[in-house]
Amino acid sequence: MEENNNMTALPSEESTDIIDSNEVLSFSIGDTIYGIEVIYVKDIITIEQITVVPKIPDHIKGVINIRGRVVPVISVRKRFGIEEIPYDDRTCIIVLEFEDGNQVGIIVDRVQEVISVKPSDISNTPDSKNVNANRYIKSLINLESGIRLLIDCYKLINDDGSVV
Amino acid sequence: MAKFEAGMEAMADAYVFETTSLLEQLDQVLMKTENESSFGEEEINEIFRTMHTIKGSSAMMGLDNMSKLAHAIEDMFYIIREDNPVISSMSDLYDLVFTASDFLKAEIELIQEDEYTATDFTEQIDKIHAFAAVLKGGEAAPAAAPAAAAPAAPAAAPAPAAAPASAGTASATDFTAVKVHFEEDCKMENLRAILVINRISEMCSKLEYIPSDIETNSETAQTIVSDGFEINFCPANGVTIDAILDTIQNTPNVKTCEVMQRGSGASAASADVDSTSVRIHFEDDCKMENLRAALVINNIRDVCDAVTYEPADIESNPETAKVIADDGFVVHFKSEKPQNVFQVIESTPSVKSYEVIDPNAPSAPDEGTEEGAAAAAAQAAPAASAAPAQAAAAAAPAAAPKQEAPKPAAKPAAAPAAAKPAGGGGGAKQSLISVNLNKLDTLLDLVGEIVITEAMVTSNPDLKGLRLDNFQKSARQLRKLNGDLQDAVMSIRMVPVSGAFNKMTRIVRDMKVKLGKDVDLIFEGEETEVDKSIIDQLNDPLMHMVRNSMDHGIEDNVEDRIAAGKSPKGKITLSAYNSSGEVIIVVADDGQGINPEAVLAKAERNGILTKPASDYTDKEIVNMIMLPGFSTNEQVTEYSGRGVGMDVVKKNIEKIGGTVSIESKYGEGSKFIIKIPLSLSIVDSMEITVGSSIFSIPINSICESFKVSPEQLVRDTSGREMIMLRGECYPLIRLYEIYDLEPVTVDLFEGIVILVETDGKRACLFADELIGEQQVVLKPFSPLLSNYNVKQNGMSGCSILGDGSITIILDVSNIVRDF
Repeated sequence: MEENNNMTALPSEESTDIIDSNEVLSFSIGDTIYGIEVIYVKDIITIEQITVVPKIPDHIKGVINIRGRVVPVISVRKRFGIEEIPYDDRTCIIVLEFEDGNQVGIIVDRVQEVISVKPSDISNTPDSKNVNANRYIKSLINLESGIRLLIDCYKLINDDGSVV
Repeated sequence: MAKFEAGMEAMADAYVFETTSLLEQLDQVLMKTENESSFGEEEINEIFRTMHTIKGSSAMMGLDNMSKLAHAIEDMFYIIREDNPVISSMSDLYDLVFTASDFLKAEIELIQEDEYTATDFTEQIDKIHAFAAVLKGGEAAPAAAPAAAAPAAPAAAPAPAAAPASAGTASATDFTAVKVHFEEDCKMENLRAILVINRISEMCSKLEYIPSDIETNSETAQTIVSDGFEINFCPANGVTIDAILDTIQNTPNVKTCEVMQRGSGASAASADVDSTSVRIHFEDDCKMENLRAALVINNIRDVCDAVTYEPADIESNPETAKVIADDGFVVHFKSEKPQNVFQVIESTPSVKSYEVIDPNAPSAPDEGTEEGAAAAAAQAAPAASAAPAQAAAAAAPAAAPKQEAPKPAAKPAAAPAAAKPAGGGGGAKQSLISVNLNKLDTLLDLVGEIVITEAMVTSNPDLKGLRLDNFQKSARQLRKLNGDLQDAVMSIRMVPVSGAFNKMTRIVRDMKVKLGKDVDLIFEGEETEVDKSIIDQLNDPLMHMVRNSMDHGIEDNVEDRIAAGKSPKGKITLSAYNSSGEVIIVVADDGQGINPEAVLAKAERNGILTKPASDYTDKEIVNMIMLPGFSTNEQVTEYSGRGVGMDVVKKNIEKIGGTVSIESKYGEGSKFIIKIPLSLSIVDSMEITVGSSIFSIPINSICESFKVSPEQLVRDTSGREMIMLRGECYPLIRLYEIYDLEPVTVDLFEGIVILVETDGKRACLFADELIGEQQVVLKPFSPLLSNYNVKQNGMSGCSILGDGSITIILDVSNIVRDF
């Protein structure tokens, strides 16, 4: 029923443009649940020793060794301007891989689940830019269990949205 | 990539590579002949062949403009070769060919871009045609020239020296006739047929095909589709018919290749050659001579035919060992190129000496490889003439060139004929392959991974405190092998700098003409080898420097040179040599040198001085010309003086991890010294810790490390710390301060101080602790990080250590720069 409503509300063609895959990995930061398109997810690993690289912005925590590759890691909390909490055993690094082969890890509080998303579930973000975290949100996913915020991973790692 | 003929994209790499190297060869031939100011027959043929190949392959790729330009030059040289005209203006001819070659090179560059539109060469082609017409004595209108030249061209192109010799004698039965059908709908069958002809032309001594006007008449495409493409050929010496058939079959778009008549090619080729006999002696007391003899036989079977030997039962009868030890081991074989066989024999282990036994003449003494060739050739000639009855037609073609030239190795006329089959991949085994650089990069990466993994295994924390004698032994073995593997991979990637140097010949030549300066370009140590990826980056800086030397270095007036007591002819020397893990390349000229006062004055005007002018040393002043936006030349010339030159040189060299410095004596000349690392990726380094971070400092920038005692610490007026070491004062850089880290200790006397040197600048780095020395594999930072100027902050990359932790490799020059 809800589906039908959305269908009318949002033409499906438009929605398919916004989302790159129909499966979304959800994770939480504090009480909010976010999602990230599965096609960008290469791996999920538990938090490990991060090597600090001096003189880089705060949100880049440093680099880690993932099977012989040196991958930078970003703290999503820091990026969103939320206060950082100590890492615990649920803290995870989601390793993202982009089309050009670059990998970047993002630190999240906990990883939830993979959800299938129908184009009809997706709606655009409200047009308010006053919240810092909103800059990185691509669209909203309406599920029965609640709303998930779909993150634009290009913008997340780089303000101008490019992986150079 | 619509720029190529459909289905040809896959060939693009090979095409670009082949054409580029052909054009380089062409330049060298031209340069050589220009110096001698005459064309030898060989050179004309060489140019002709080169152009012919470029024409064919360009047409195949669908690059008509290039094909036509190459065709025009080919026509011109056809006239030069056939008519032997009096060339009124050699310099015009050279200019024509050089510009054409430049156009072709530029076009090759363009092709590699994504956006490509064919350049119109019509003007140049017309010029060439006009010149060719003049050569012809104006008889033929320019337009008629190509038509007249084309049909004769393909037949004349392959192995020019050999073709005329054998043409008259080969009887019809020696021909192998094949009919080639191309894949349906592959289009432009005539051009594909040219490709087939080009491919096999060097393998055949005689080659005819029907239809014969495929190059000029595009309607033949239709004929080929309906009737097939007929080729009649005689294999060149040392090439088997099967090899040629294989080549045809493997040409793109060839569907079938049916043999209509098989000539006596292979057997004829070897029948041409009289059997050669060799007596081999093995080293004294080397034992089991029979088995060693069998080894020899095995080895030479690959390079010659009809091998027989005495004693014949070496493999089954151990007693033959004694016979061989006493009387030697006699081998009979047939080979067109006995010197190859001699080489193989010589390189077989335990062979002490060998001698060629002539069946007719008394036995020849020991032959070196070169004389071997001459002797064998000389031998074949009398043999052929001694037995004219049997040899008759078959032997004649082979013997004929040799009778003219008893010493083929010494006489250039016969040399190309002999050398061509080997070089063209005919009979002899090829010992060179070209490999995509990406594959080598992957290989190098893998070796890097192995080096890391080896460290992970051997210094695994699980092994701590265990006594593992056998394990350590194997680990050492593994380390040694890894070292060898690394060396082998490096050596594969090494190319001599001569390639980069040779390109400069051309630049010097052009500038000599334009600037009217007489200059000798001298190479030293051009065989020095550098990693391929570095060489590629070296071309532009070298070119800039050579241009600089030509333009600014060498005096404009010969009188000035003579007045300064120098030879009127200028000299530019390019030299390369190895020195402690680095390659040093020097561009030196004996020109006017750099005037320090002029440089200083200019620097002052440009406001780039950072301290009072009188404080600068000559060395500092001279090196100022590499600062951005500096150019002492008031006038901007075509070649240099835009004020970006030396700045760009410095940037490019630094990009590959090298340094540039200048030495100059006003009035005597200048020297540009480039130091580049042998290889980029594997660095010997010292690991240090600062707090929880590990840093690696490349060993070649470390002078020493030591503990500081209180009396060594000095402070200057602004409170900056300096370390006094053996009477010298060095600035102290606390790594935890510049990198905002939490150190274990801030107490200078507890930690360790490392004295580093780069570009003549020294400084002391303060760290917590030294961990040790290790080879690290440099991994560049992720693009995400390089956005934030990590390089400028003194970090050149990172690496993974044996325990899986990450170390950051410091770039000392960028740390020291600001102190």
